[in-house]
Parts: sequence; C-alpha cells; structure tokens
Amino acid sequence: MMRTLAILLLSVNYAWADGKGEGNETSHTGHAFEKLVDGEKLEVDPSRFSTFLEGLSDCQVAVVSVQGMVCDFCARGIEKMFRRDPQVKKIDVDLSKGKVLIAYPDDSRIDFEDIKQKILSNGQNATHLKILHI
Amino acid sequence: MLFSDNVRNAVYYHYSPTHRYSVGIEMVEDKFRIENYANLRLTYLLDRRNTDYSQQNLYFQLGFSSNVSDNHFFGLHGDWETRRWFAGFNLKSVETKAFKYIDQCYQVGVAPYLGDYGDLHTWIMVKTKKFSSEKGWTTYPVLKFFKGSTLLEFGFDKYNTWDAHLMHRF
Repeated sequence: MMRTLAILLLSVNYAWADGKGEGNETSHTGHAFEKLVDGEKLEVDPSRFSTFLEGLSDCQVAVVSVQGMVCDFCARGIEKMFRRDPQVKKIDVDLSKGKVLIAYPDDSRIDFEDIKQKILSNGQNATHLKILHI
Repeated sequence: MLFSDNVRNAVYYHYSPTHRYSVGIEMVEDKFRIENYANLRLTYLLDRRNTDYSQQNLYFQLGFSSNVSDNHFFGLHGDWETRRWFAGFNLKSVETKAFKYIDQCYQVGVAPYLGDYGDLHTWIMVKTKKFSSEKGWTTYPVLKFFKGSTLLEFGFDKYNTWDAHLMHRF
C-alpha cells in the first residue's frame, strides 16, 4: 500500500476520462493528487499495480473498468487483443477489481473508444477509464 | 476442443469472427448410433448481460451433419457466472431420419477459492443430464480446471463413464 502511495505521489500527471468515449489526454497536474487525497479511489489492487509498474518509465497507464470480466479463461482474449497493438507496452488483468491495466508510451494518444471496442470484441464492456502518467 | 462422454467423442474446432457468433467443424464418433460423421456448427450469442460481478449468456446453437442419416440439431445454451458461482443449461433437439430426441443438461458450480489472473482456477460442479433416448436423469460431480488458455473438465457418473472436456483457446 505504501509503495503504491509513493508511486502515486511521484506521478507527474493524472488524468481521467468519464467513460463517455472520449480519449482524454488532459493532464491535471497536482489536481489528481488532491482528488486521491480527498478519497477518489484508484480501485486497483495495490500490490498488483506496483508489480505492474516495475520496469515501466515514461509511460501512461490506462486503468480500465470492465464489466463481465469474471473468468480468467475469458479474459485471456482481452490480453491477446491488446498485445497485438504495437503501442501497448504492457497489459495486466485484475480480476478481483474488474480492471484492465494497459501501459502506453507517454507520447501516445489513448483512445477510450478504441479500448472499448477491443474489450467489446471479447464480449465484455469497458465502462470507465483513468489515465496515470508514470 | 476435445469432448467425450457416454454418448459421443468429439473434436471441435471453431472460429469466432466476432464475440456474437462462431462457426466450426465438429468431428463426432457417435457411440449411440455407432457411426462417425462431421457437424458443421453455428453458435450465435442471443443475449449477454455484463455487470461488475457477473456475466450471463444465452446462445443459439445449430448444426448439420454430413452423415447419411441426415441429422441436424438446434438448441439453446445459457449460463450465468460470477467469480464464485456458476449455473448453466444446455437444451438440444436432435433430428435424424430414424430418431428425434432432446438432450438436456444442467450444471451448477462453485469456485472453492478465487485465484488471480494467471493462477490455476478450479470449479467444483454438479451436472445433471438426460437424453430422451434414456430413462431417468444422470447426476454426477464434475471438476473443472483452467489455467491460461487451457481448460480441462471431467466428471464420472454412476455408470462408470467419463465426461471429459479439453479446450484450448488460440
């Protein structure tokens, strides 16, 4: 938990998208920190998230909330789909929280519509996106 | 996908162009009619409901056989699952020149532990099935394991026959 908090404190930027389909690249430097302190939850498993961040730098992590992702076997298709995207540096699935973590290069544009389409093609629904700049 | 029970052994290879439907070829060794044939199968997702904690599905299935007895089948398959609980059914109407029968199968299960992504996942299940060509229902335990893209399911009924189901997703 402490490690995750430290990572979050070191985050340069934090952006969020409201799930209405816009790739949101707007940075809110500092603003995010306030939000997190004020109790907005990242809703990822802290240890899983910190493991995911190992070896990553100068990138942004899309934290995608997914409905219907109840089975490891079914979620495999999500991982395979995103691995085909050359922009994706790393991907992980957090079944317990219903999240998909996707690392992109810092200069790439994250398109929530594209993410939603990829996840829908595997049969689940992406409902919300948060972007963390690492 | 490899499948074996007291009625048939089958190898099924299918492709899903979208999550809505899949088409495939199933090679069947029919133990009941003692013949081998191929089925051309179509599976169509009629409805899917996703929530934060569950998914439920209803599929329509259709198949045509290559064998001389001109058989075909259609049916419904439904399931509902959370990470902990599973319930599903399969209804299949099979018609041939000589026979017409309905297969019914119902299954419930519980995951004894909730594994993380990448872990070995286990389900303890109970399956009950009835073929209209047989008297009574057969109910028996089933264990299901999956890890990564491979799933293995097997059960053992009172007639000492095995259900086995191996699936790999490419």
